[in-house]
Amino acid sequence: MATITFKNVVKSYDGVNNVIPGLDLEIKDREFIILVGPSGCGKSTILRMIAGLEEVTSGDLFIADKRVNDVAPKDRDIAMVFQSYALYPHMTVYKNMAFGLSLRKMPKEDIDRKVTQVAKILDIEKYLKRKPKALSGGQRQRVALGRAMVREPSVFLLDEPLSNLDAKLRTEMRSQITQLHNDLQATFIYVTHDQTEAMTMADRIVVLKDGIVNQIDTPQNLYNHPCNMFVAGFIGSPQMNFINAKIIAADGKLYASFSDYKIPLLERMCDPLKEYIDKDVVIGIRPENFHSEKFYFKEDESNKIELFTNIVEMMGSELNLYGEIDGNKIVAKVPSNPNIKLNSNVSLAINTEKIHIFDKDTQNVICD
Amino acid sequence: MTARKKIVNSFIFLFLSALAIAFLVPIFVVFLNSFKTKFSIVGSPFELPTQETFVGLENYIYGIKTAGLLKAFGLSLFITVSSVVVIVVCCSMTAWYVTRVKTKGTRILYTLFIFSMIVPFQMVMYTMTYTVFQLHLNNPVGIILVYLGFGSGLSVFMLSGFIKSVPIEVEEAAMIDGCSPLQSFFLVVFPILKPTAITVAILNTMWIWNDFLLPYLVLGADKTMPVAIQLTMQGAYGSINWGGFMAMLVIAIIPIVVFYITCQKHIIKGVVAGAVKG
Repeated sequence: MATITFKNVVKSYDGVNNVIPGLDLEIKDREFIILVGPSGCGKSTILRMIAGLEEVTSGDLFIADKRVNDVAPKDRDIAMVFQSYALYPHMTVYKNMAFGLSLRKMPKEDIDRKVTQVAKILDIEKYLKRKPKALSGGQRQRVALGRAMVREPSVFLLDEPLSNLDAKLRTEMRSQITQLHNDLQATFIYVTHDQTEAMTMADRIVVLKDGIVNQIDTPQNLYNHPCNMFVAGFIGSPQMNFINAKIIAADGKLYASFSDYKIPLLERMCDPLKEYIDKDVVIGIRPENFHSEKFYFKEDESNKIELFTNIVEMMGSELNLYGEIDGNKIVAKVPSNPNIKLNSNVSLAINTEKIHIFDKDTQNVICD
Repeated sequence: MTARKKIVNSFIFLFLSALAIAFLVPIFVVFLNSFKTKFSIVGSPFELPTQETFVGLENYIYGIKTAGLLKAFGLSLFITVSSVVVIVVCCSMTAWYVTRVKTKGTRILYTLFIFSMIVPFQMVMYTMTYTVFQLHLNNPVGIILVYLGFGSGLSVFMLSGFIKSVPIEVEEAAMIDGCSPLQSFFLVVFPILKPTAITVAILNTMWIWNDFLLPYLVLGADKTMPVAIQLTMQGAYGSINWGGFMAMLVIAIIPIVVFYITCQKHIIKGVVAGAVKG
C-alpha cells in the first residue's frame, strides 16, 4: 500500500514566505496523479518533498502510513525520473540501471535479469553498453525510466519527464508511461505544466496556484466543472472565454446580459443565481461551445452573437476565431469552413447548456 | 587566402618555429652534453660528441651511483605522488562542499581559497618555514601537508568551477538510488570530475616535482633531498662533474616530460570543462 498523505504540510525556504502554505492531500495507492499549475506554483517542491530532497518545514508527510519527514530518500521506497534525466554520464546504460540495485547489494544474477527484462520492455536492449552521451533524448528518457523501474518502487515520481522531447516523441512516451502505470500497478505522481499530458494520463489532477490546491478531480470533472476561474482558465486550450455580464430576470427566466445580447440561462441555474439578480458576474464559455452551424441556433436566435474576426487560425479540421465583444477577448473553435473569412462578422450560437457562471469578486463558480 | 595573408601566416609560422627551437635548444644541449667528457663540455658545449669526447652512459652511471640520484628520485616521487593524491582528494571534496552547501561560512572559505592564490610565496615563506619547524613538519611526510596548503587555492578554484556545471539532479538521483553522501561523492561526483581532477593533478605534479625553494626551506636539515635540490648540491661541494650533472638533469626531467606528454590532452579538456556547461 503506497498511499501518500500530506497533513497540513508547510514548506518555507527563508522562514518568512511559505512556498507551500499548508497542504492537505491524499494520494491513493496505485493512483496516477498529476500536479499541474503555472511556473513557481510549488508542484516540483511537493514532488521533491515526497522524494525527501526537500525538508518539510512543518506538518506531516506519510508514505504507506509511515511518517517520513525525517526518512532518507533511499529508505522511502520511491524512484524519481528527472526533467534533465540525471543519468550518470560516466556509466553505461546498464550500469546506470543497475546502480541502485548494486548499492542494495542485490546478487549479480538478479541485477542482470532485472536490467535485461526492463531494457526489453523499454526497447533499449541494444544500448546497454553505450554511455548516455551516445543516446538521443528519447532513448535517455527511456533509460531514466528504466533506472526507476528496475528498483520496483511502490511510488514513481516524475518531474516533467517529457518536457525536453519533441512533440512526436512526447506523444509516444505519453502512451508508454500510461501503459507502464497499468502494468506496474504502482503509485505515479507526475508533475507537468502541459495540460494535454495531465488530461490524457491522470486518474486525478491536482491544480495548484501559489502553493495552494485549487481543485483535485478527474480530468473530465476538472474540465466540465472547474471550481473557479483559475482552474477554468488553466485547463483547456485555447482557454475558456470569460465575459463580464449581468444577471437579469425577465418573464420568470434568468438571462446573462452583455453588450447587446441577452443569453437565456438554464432553469437549473435559477436557484443558485437568485442572489445575483441585477449583479455583475463573469460567464465562462469554452471555445468549442460556440457553434457556427445552423443546427445550434435557437429559433428565436436568443443564443446568437456576432463576432468580428481579428485572427483566423487554421488548425486543419477546425478554425480558431479570435475577436472581441464589449472589451472581452473571445476565442471560438468551429469546424473548418471556407465561408468564414478574416475581418468579417461571423454568427455564432452559444451552447447554453455549457455556460459556467462565476462570482466576479471571489472568482468561484456559482453554477455550471 | 589572399597573398598578403599567406605572407603574414608564413612569417608567424617562422617566428613561432624559431621560438620553439629557442626553447628546445637548451634541453638538446643538456642531452648532448650528458654523453660527453667534462672537459669537452666546458671547452665546446655546443659540439656534437666525437669519438674522443663520447663517454657513453658513464655520466649516467655516475649520477645514479655516486651522486645518490636514485634516492633523491625516490624521495621526489614519494613527495610528489603523495602530495598530488592528497591535494586532488581533499580539494575535490572541499570544492564539492563549498559549491553545494551555500552558507556564509562556505562563501568565506571559498574567498579565502581564492585569496591564497594571489599571495606570493616569497611573502609568506619566512613565517611558513617558522611554523613548519614549530609543528615539526620539516620532514618528507610533513611537507605533503605544506604542499596541500599551497596547492589548494588553484585546485579548489578549478574544481568548484567544474562542479557548478554538474547538474545537482545527478547527485539527487544517486541519493534516491541509495547513496550516502560519501558514496555519492566517490561513486558519482568524483568520476564526473575526472577531466578537471586530472588537470589539477598534472599542474600540481609539474609544480611539486620541479619545486626548489619550498623543500629547500622546509627540508633544510634532512640528508636526503628531492631531485631538484640534489642536482644543485653537485655544484655546491667540490669541483663540478658537468657530465654527471647533465646526465642527472636528463634523468630528472624524463618523468615529468613523459607524464606531461601522456596527460596533456586532459589539461585543455579540464580547463574548458569548467568554463562551459556541457
